[in-house]
Amino acid sequence: MWTNLKTGLLSALAVALAAPALAQAPPKAGGAINIPFEHYTLPNGLNVILSVDRTIPQAAVDVWYHVGSKNEAPGRTGFAHMFEHVMFTGSGHVPYGMHDRLTEGVGGNNNGSTTNDRTNYYENVPSNYVESALWLESDRMGFLLDKLDEDKFVAQRDIVQNERRQGVDNQPYGRAFEILTAATLPAADPYSWPVVGYMTDLQHATVDDVKQFFRLYYAPSNATIAIVGDIDPAQVKQWVTEYFGDLPKGAPITRPTVPAVTLSAEKRLVFEDRVQVPRLYMAWPTVGENSDDAYALNALADILSGSRTARLTKALVYDQQSATNIGAFNDANELAGSFLVLITPRPGHTLGELEASTDSIIDRLKRDGPTADEMRRTAAGLEFGFVAALQSNLGRANILLSGAVFHNDPAYYQTQYGKLKAVTAADVQRVANKYLGAGRAVLSIVPQGKIDLASKPDQSTKVTVSPDGGHYLMGGN
Amino acid sequence: MRHLILALVLTLGVQSAPLAAQALNRDVPPTPGPTPTIHIPTWTSTTLANGAQLVVSQKHNLPLVAVAIRFVGGQANFEPADKVGVANFTAQMLSEGTTTKTADQLSEAQQMLGTQIFSGVGEEDGTIGFTSLTSSFEPALALAADMLLHSTFPEEALERIRGRTLVGLQQARDRPNSIAANVFAKVLYGDAHPYGRVMTEASVHAIMRDDIVAFHDAYYQPGRAVITVTGDVEPAAVKAALEQAFAAWPAGGARPAWQYPPVPAPKPTTIYLVDKPHSAQSVFAIGLPGPARDTPDYYALDVMNTLLGGLFQSRLNHNIREVKGYSYGVRSRFAFGHGPGAFQAGGGIVTGKTDSALIEFMKEFRGVEGAVPFTDDEMQQGKQALIQSLPRRFASVNGISAAIADIYTGGLPQSYYQDFPAKINAVTREDMVRVAKQYIDLGHLNIVIVGDRAVVEGPLTATGIAPIKLLDVDGNPVP
Repeated sequence: MWTNLKTGLLSALAVALAAPALAQAPPKAGGAINIPFEHYTLPNGLNVILSVDRTIPQAAVDVWYHVGSKNEAPGRTGFAHMFEHVMFTGSGHVPYGMHDRLTEGVGGNNNGSTTNDRTNYYENVPSNYVESALWLESDRMGFLLDKLDEDKFVAQRDIVQNERRQGVDNQPYGRAFEILTAATLPAADPYSWPVVGYMTDLQHATVDDVKQFFRLYYAPSNATIAIVGDIDPAQVKQWVTEYFGDLPKGAPITRPTVPAVTLSAEKRLVFEDRVQVPRLYMAWPTVGENSDDAYALNALADILSGSRTARLTKALVYDQQSATNIGAFNDANELAGSFLVLITPRPGHTLGELEASTDSIIDRLKRDGPTADEMRRTAAGLEFGFVAALQSNLGRANILLSGAVFHNDPAYYQTQYGKLKAVTAADVQRVANKYLGAGRAVLSIVPQGKIDLASKPDQSTKVTVSPDGGHYLMGGN
Repeated sequence: MRHLILALVLTLGVQSAPLAAQALNRDVPPTPGPTPTIHIPTWTSTTLANGAQLVVSQKHNLPLVAVAIRFVGGQANFEPADKVGVANFTAQMLSEGTTTKTADQLSEAQQMLGTQIFSGVGEEDGTIGFTSLTSSFEPALALAADMLLHSTFPEEALERIRGRTLVGLQQARDRPNSIAANVFAKVLYGDAHPYGRVMTEASVHAIMRDDIVAFHDAYYQPGRAVITVTGDVEPAAVKAALEQAFAAWPAGGARPAWQYPPVPAPKPTTIYLVDKPHSAQSVFAIGLPGPARDTPDYYALDVMNTLLGGLFQSRLNHNIREVKGYSYGVRSRFAFGHGPGAFQAGGGIVTGKTDSALIEFMKEFRGVEGAVPFTDDEMQQGKQALIQSLPRRFASVNGISAAIADIYTGGLPQSYYQDFPAKINAVTREDMVRVAKQYIDLGHLNIVIVGDRAVVEGPLTATGIAPIKLLDVDGNPVP
């Protein structure tokens, strides 16, 4: 059996612990899809993951905080992401700029990212700068507020607004997913607002908000750090203790609860955008990655649009040639998700026609289920996808961290892989019937002044951006 | 539960580890250990019976293999000027069926192998290839060879690709970044230079099946092919597999001569404004034709540009994003083709600060040309950033494959990566100022801005930086 346990890092205990998870995956996968790691917790609650790989003389230091946009409140949207930017403005012992000096300035790089559920910060560095990265991360985890600078905060607030302009406001179709999310979820649902936030809310953020947010969510007890790559584990453990051991444990965090959402009826919407080609979007509320149904929904998306021979792609793009492209995705967050379909028409074909074709294809799948061949093909690519993701230090770090943060198990990718492989045709048929029902949002994006290009325009509510740019107005909502 | 047990054992381990003798001083950055040695991947090179070059690099830590059949020369060298798009169409048509397999059968075979064969033709090279598990290497290679050698180019597929491409062109006119890229190419190079040509509705309508067949036959020749196979493989077995897969591929073809028509004469610095009403941002593309990759100034330009607009804390991004807050990010680059690839600086700028941002771009250009001398620390960062980031190129089979292919298609010496640190370290401050002055000619810059004319035209005029010419989204003058 091929193995990548060449580093000697993995303790016998960890091997023993990994074995049950491995046993859930098919025997063929057990060799390649394996990341040796150690996992322990400091007394202050910081979760630590170490994984050795000496492929290149570099290492990734990657910290995940279990906080994202779903921890925000309506009216204060975008704050978790804006806070991520503030984390790059310097901290108690680290002047602004030093972070980049000790990463990109020595041949590494750094970045951060925010999702609905978690925020991460990472450094890829030459292996002799791992201690520097730990110094940097520990300083902003422990001492961010010591030198919080109002001017730098204001500049980052402007930059985040530019990020929103660049990614959403100035992009054709850029608002589609925000509108769909706002339409399918109640206004109080923590997943109902965009991660980047609404423009008016961004303008309202203050330095006091930063302080409160930091004290609540940026304690070691809400963080997991992975150090992955060309490292000496004993040395790194000592550094982790030195740099992070004396940071105070945080207060318990009340996690948002996310009730399951179902729509009682179809919501039909139309939005005029600065586009020449209309587009049709559909969204159904589904489940988070904490539900086993998410695996079957992934397979469903692949069977509908994952390849040339996928059902929607083959029918609409190749056989009828009514669409220029089509995509079906299952977007699973930690606690809830949505299933999305988007279709761009070819000239001479209406959004109404495409909606009808799509519905009939999905109805047939709901009635008959996928074929055995379709199930074989969708499963065949899984192993390659997992192995390819193991190539970079940061890729391995994020796989281990995702399991640790959302499932209290860095090896959870093994379980995930087993569950993905185990999805049956009956599972796919069941989730298609359970989730892709009448309760959905159907959004037509049309050129300005061309509401009549929408699918069923007379049944669709016109969506507008509120005058202050703060949110979307959807008729009676 | 199991991690609680593990945590206990490991915590004991941590406590028994030797602790630092003195209290931690957080005010001082840790002293880095010795710089790690950079290991450059090795490879073997051989020639197939039909003349194609085969390069194999072994990497056995994961059961993966990356295969890339790269053709030297691309659109700029092989595409007729009135049929821009034929290279791209031909590459797409390789997936549309062979003499023995329908397009659906090709797709299903790839799905069952857990791989996806990609093909494309860029400005100066083209590729067909795949990345797969080692176990799929031979069957995936056979599929790729079948697509390359036995495609049937059905008329029906051509019409479908044409239809989809036309919609894509229409949608590109809505994207400010696409508009800026097309207009920038046209302003710098004009229609007579291949670098200035872009696909248009007219060129797409002009492509016939015969053109596709002719392009395929002329272009996909082993005499200009470099095949890289990287990963969990053995060179001898790879060669045997390739000889078998390409036994039916007759010898022929040669590398292009890289002869290009001259670029248009430099024009005095001008702002080319493309109106995009109600834009939240103005998209900037500032630049001019630059040197080819084989310029002796390559290394000086590489370090200089890293500090001007390559790093996050480059002068441009530090000033315009971090200090001023006008943008989510700005950068600069030299394209370094076989011909006069462009220098280009730009990014998305909040509409209300379009004029202020242009003033800052110009200030930073003057800075690297001598007004603001490079500090020792900047020099060190720029050099280390380039040298010590090399290993990340070698982390994945695709990264190694691309790094090796760059040597063969770019005409670089075999020792290029070994020599790279010394060449970068030899760059002096004087070199950098000299090349900045030489290649960022402030008297002849083309400043393309796609934004809301009603808001930005007046303030841009008031900067006095350059006269404004109005262009449409295709780069044609607005009357």
